[in-house]
Formats: sequence, C-alpha cells, structure tokens
Amino acid sequence: MEIEHIKADVLCVGGGIGGLMAAIRASELGAKAVVAEKGNALHSGKGGGGCDHYLSYIPEIHGPDMDAFIEEMLQTQQRHNFEGLGMNRIRVHIAKTFDIVKMWESWGIPMKYRGEYHYAGHAFPGGFRCLMKYEGRNQKPILTKKALEKGVEIVNRVMVFDLVSDGNKVYGAIGLNTRDEKIVVFEAKSVILGTGGISRLYPSPTPGWFNNIATRLSLTGDGRAMAYRAGAELQNMEMRIQHAGPKYYARFGQATWIGVFRDPQDRPIGPFVTKPERLYGDITPEVNKNIFLEYAQAGKGPVYMDGRGMSQEDLDYMMYWLPHEGNTPLIEHMKADGIDYLKHPVEFMTYDQGSGGRIVTNEEGETSINGLYAVGDELANGVSNASVFGWISGENATLYAKGANIPDGKEIQDLIDEKKGLLEKIRGQKNGPDWKEVNVALQQIMSDYSGALRTEALLDTGLFHLKRLKQKALESIIAGNQHELGRSIEVLNMIDIGELVFICSKERKETRGLHIRRDYPLTNPRLNNKVHIIKEVDHRPVTEWRPTQK
Amino acid sequence: MPPIIDEDKCTLCGNCVDICTEDVFFGSKKKQLPRVTYPHECVYCNACVEECPAEGAVRLRLPLPMMLMYKPAPTA
Ligand SMILES: Cc1cc2nc3c(=O)[nH]c(=O)nc-3n(C[C@H](O)[C@H](O)[C@H](O)COP(=O)(O)OP(=O)(O)OC[C@H]3O[C@@H](n4cnc5c(N)ncnc54)[C@H](O)[C@@H]3O)c2cc1C
Ligand code: SF4
Ligand code: SF4
Repeated sequence: MEIEHIKADVLCVGGGIGGLMAAIRASELGAKAVVAEKGNALHSGKGGGGCDHYLSYIPEIHGPDMDAFIEEMLQTQQRHNFEGLGMNRIRVHIAKTFDIVKMWESWGIPMKYRGEYHYAGHAFPGGFRCLMKYEGRNQKPILTKKALEKGVEIVNRVMVFDLVSDGNKVYGAIGLNTRDEKIVVFEAKSVILGTGGISRLYPSPTPGWFNNIATRLSLTGDGRAMAYRAGAELQNMEMRIQHAGPKYYARFGQATWIGVFRDPQDRPIGPFVTKPERLYGDITPEVNKNIFLEYAQAGKGPVYMDGRGMSQEDLDYMMYWLPHEGNTPLIEHMKADGIDYLKHPVEFMTYDQGSGGRIVTNEEGETSINGLYAVGDELANGVSNASVFGWISGENATLYAKGANIPDGKEIQDLIDEKKGLLEKIRGQKNGPDWKEVNVALQQIMSDYSGALRTEALLDTGLFHLKRLKQKALESIIAGNQHELGRSIEVLNMIDIGELVFICSKERKETRGLHIRRDYPLTNPRLNNKVHIIKEVDHRPVTEWRPTQK
Repeated sequence: MPPIIDEDKCTLCGNCVDICTEDVFFGSKKKQLPRVTYPHECVYCNACVEECPAEGAVRLRLPLPMMLMYKPAPTA
C-alpha cells in the first residue's frame, strides 16, 4: 500500500459538526487546519441528514438567570447527556450558545422560524423551552462550504484509526483511504477527535441488520478506541444509553413528533400532556427512555405516539420540521402506505444506543494527553455541544500548535510499519469471516453478557469470549477491498470499546441508571459525584474513581 | 432502503457516488450508471436523493422489516 503524507497544525479527525467547527476556527486563527473524514463531509455524521433543535440560551427570551435555564434543562434528557461533565463545563457551553446561533445564521443556516427565534419540543408544559427550532437540513453542506472558504483542507474517504503519540503527547494520526490502496499519515502539531458516536456495538431493532440504525453505520467509536490506545483517559464506559423512536424504523426525532404517548386503551402513559401540544411534544420518554420496553415486557403495550385530535395546522407544522430532522424517507413511507397521522397513531419503541462512555476533557476541550482534544459526541450528544466545543477546541488547539513541534521520526516510521503490516495482513487473509460476521458475534456477546442485566459471572464469561472473538477476528477477518478493510478496522475498534465496557461494568459494583447489576442492586451514594476513569498503562487497563469536575 | 437508480432518468453525474457517506456505491465508475454495491449498508439518510440533479433518478426502497407499525383506524 502506497503512503501519502499530509502536514497540519491542527488535524480534525471527523468532518462532522464538531470537527468542521473546530477546523473553521483554527483556520480563522491562522492555523493550517486539515479535516480527515471517513465519508464525505457534505452529508456525513449524525448531523448529515439534518437536525431541528438547537439547545441555546438567549437572555432576552429566557431571562437573565442562566442557572435557572440550566436547572430546567437538566430535568430533560440532557441530565443523562451531561452527566459527569461538571457544572463549569455546562456553564461554558450554555453561555456560548447564542453566539454560535448568530454565527450560523450569518452563514446561511436558518435559525429563525417566521422571522423569530422559536423554541419548541423537549419541554415540560409550563417550564422553559430550552431547544430552539432551526432548519438544519442543509447544515452540513453550509458548514463544509464555510470551512473551504476559510482555507480548511478537507480530505474525504480517509478513515483515521490510530494516533501517533508517545503516551504523553500526540503529534499526528494514521488513516486508510477507503477507496484507493493508500495509507495516509498525518503529521500534526495538535489533533482534535470528533468521530461521533458508537452505532453498532449492540443489536439494532432488526436482528442481524446493521443499517437499521438512527445514526450512521460509519460511527463506530473510532475516536474513543484510538484515544484509549494512545493513553488518554476515558470515563463511564459502562453506562448504557438508549433512545426512543418509531418501532422497527430506527430514527431520531422523537421530540419533533407532536402527540400524546398512549397505551392500547388510549390512556396517556405519562402525566405531562393529555392532548397534542405543538410547543412541548410529550416529554415522557425523556424522563424514562426505557418506558416502551417496560410496557412491552409488562404486557401493557403497544405504546403509540398519538396525534389524533390535532389540527391540520399542527400537522403541517410537524411535517415541516420532520425533514429538517432527517426524516424525509419516513414521511415518504407514511404517504406510500397511506398512514394518515391524524387518524393513525404510530407505535414507538426503545432502541439500544450502546455505550455512553466518553473521552475525558476539560472546559478547554483538552484530553489528558498533550496536543489531543475531543469534541462533540465523543463527550455528549447534541448539535449545540458539538458546535460550541468544536469552536472552543479549535481555538485552544491552535494556541497549543503555536508552541509545538513534530519530532522527526523513528516513532512515526515504526508505527507506520506496524499499521501497514496489520492492514496488509487483513487484505491478504482468505476464507475467514467478513466484518458483518464479526459484528454479529460482537453484538450478541455485548447484548447477552453486558446488556440490560449484568452480574459478575455474566461479565467474566462475556469478557472471556470477547477476547476469544478479538483473537479470532485479528487472525482471520477478511476484506476484499479498501472499503471492507475500513469496515473491518471499525469492528476491531468496537471490540476494543466492548472490552472497556466489560471491564468498567465489572468495577462498578452498584446499580445506576441503565447499568443494572443484579448482584449489586443498591445505588451507592458514595459514587454519586464520581466519574469512573479507565486508561491504558503499560498495555493494561487501569481504572479509578475520581470526583466529577466542578 | 437500497437505493434504486432509474437508468432512463440518471444523467451519470456521479453526485450520489461522491456524496454517500457509507459508500454504498463503492466501485462505481465515472460517467457510468452508479452501481449499488453494498445495498445493506444504506442508512436511508436521503443524501443521494437530495443531491441528485435529475428528479426521480434515484429513490430509496424501504425494506419490509422497517415498515411502521401503526394503529389502524376503527372501521365505521
Ligand atoms: C437524525 C438525527 C437528528 C438529530 N437531531 C438533533 C437535534 O435536533 N438537535 C441536537 O442537538 N442533536 C441532534 N442530533 C444529534 C447530533 O446530530 C449530533 O450530536 C452531532 O451531529 C454530533 O456532532 P459530532 O461532530 O460530534 O459528530 P457527527 O456529526 O456524527 O460527525 C462525526 C464525523 O466523524 C466521521 N468519522 C467517524 N469516524 C471517523 C474516522 N475514524 N476517521 C475519520 N472520520 C471519521 C464521520 O463520518 C462523521 O462525519 C441528531 C442526530 C440524528 C442522527
Ligand atoms: S440514502 Fe444515504 S446511505 Fe443510502 S445510498 Fe443514499 S446517500 Fe448512501
Ligand atoms: S446523482 Fe442522480 S443523476 Fe447523478 S449519478 Fe446519481 S442517480 Fe444519476
């Protein structure tokens, strides 16, 4: 495989919302910013199909007390989302949101509805509405264009899979071209990871299908896996996350639907709304995402999102926003099947979204390794989080890069040789399992041994078999071309993440949220304000409990 | 879900091939009809449809396991 070298001051791994915002800021401040993107930045990542809610605080709308806004926000799904990140970081985030809103508007992303800032959805009736409705359908093409205008170099179809680091400091990364037989070596003074979430560690609603997911097949936790291998700290890898959406049709956008969640007898399942409310939606699943599963298991389902009784105007409003929220194919399907939402409630279910683990960072976006930053879904979900910390990290990575240099390199050469060897070995393997087979095996181990129920015995057993799977996969996985090679590396990364989920689950000897230890049913109050850290020391995982950042 | 290309409408511009994040059209050749190489990797994000200049040249077929489960309206 041929080797291509690219130099940068700031390398952004992942051209999602976070990576592009970081690159735009870095370039604006004079850095040579390069974005390495696995797909094509124009429509890649979770934001690639559009979004319609922007978490933002505007004093003129919400009042001068930002903490009151934060308190309200933390009663919604943002509570789990920002868990363990510390109040300082939340304040830095929220305080910056209006600036980004105005900036995006000036770049051509419509942030107003009928001429005004408009907040709706994800809200309790009577409380603050914390999420602005915006027309995010074209956000990725607009951000990509802005990045190019500012002089950012975007390298599409390159999957970065390891960092170049001495365990203390990062000075580059290595990737594979997913179309041409090429390895790409980035020599960079600082690196910002923005590779998004983890989409297929656990099974999708359709067994054995990978693409029935609310996000993207190509979001596989690469950032977390490579950060860990480079010695960076990760936190709370054992915590599970779930999402809710239409049954069997995995999609985000629950809060864009207007209606009431009702049981088969038409009784509302939550206490918040009794008729469709355009400004609030039904926030019940944000209080408990598992509620659809609980109803199903108790024989009380199905549960429907029920829009009956809403006005045609409210329906038009909902149908206006769903395409911005990446739901055009769903609307097309409803039309084709004659599903009239004014008459037909639509069943919802709980989806397993995998590990809520994240890369440890501070308010500056720095990880525990010099020169390495992390943004967006590497830390917490949401467009607002990705854009704000993209911006902040871009700034700080640029400052760092000014004083940094790239050592010439024997280490880089050794790493290139090692990784080239691995890639060529996989390309040369014959008659083994393809990535899909390995991925199915991974999902069943994750789901049955580190899924909804966990015990010491299950976790020990699962970890033992996961290690066997890893060994077998390394020795035999096949890839007929560069695309399949990328998919194979993705699944190897997810196996690494899976191992960390097992190790951390074993160490968390309590039940908390969706981490249910049948052998430790108590929630241990001594762990209330602690984060669970894992990092690699001398090629071994080491865990530690640490107070949550202030 | 697998994208379906209408040979008669497609202008062979290659936009869908360039844009698809999942590279469902991997291996397609420039100025030729896009090849749907990995239909089961399509995440029905709609980007190919949106970026296609020839209306109707590419559409998505929703696979049967993903059809919505809705509550039928009571018959009169
Ligand atoms: C349908 C949908 C609707 C949503 N709606 C909302 C909403 O209304 N409001 C809201 O706040 N949030 C919403 N979200 C969530 C939001 O989109 C994400 O939180 C946000 O996009 C995260 O930005 P990011 O940059 O961290 O990750 P992403 O935008 O997911 O980008 C990650 C990027 O990294 C690339 N990548 C991955 N691995 C590699 C690698 N190894 N090498 C190179 N590149 C790599 C990916 O291709 C991708 O481009 C929605 C998500 C979905 C799926
Ligand atoms: S819908 Fe999205 S994933 Fe599917 S082929 Fe089109 S661009 Fe690719
Ligand atoms: S974008 Fe449309 S016209 Fe262009 S190659 Fe694809 S299907 Fe054909």
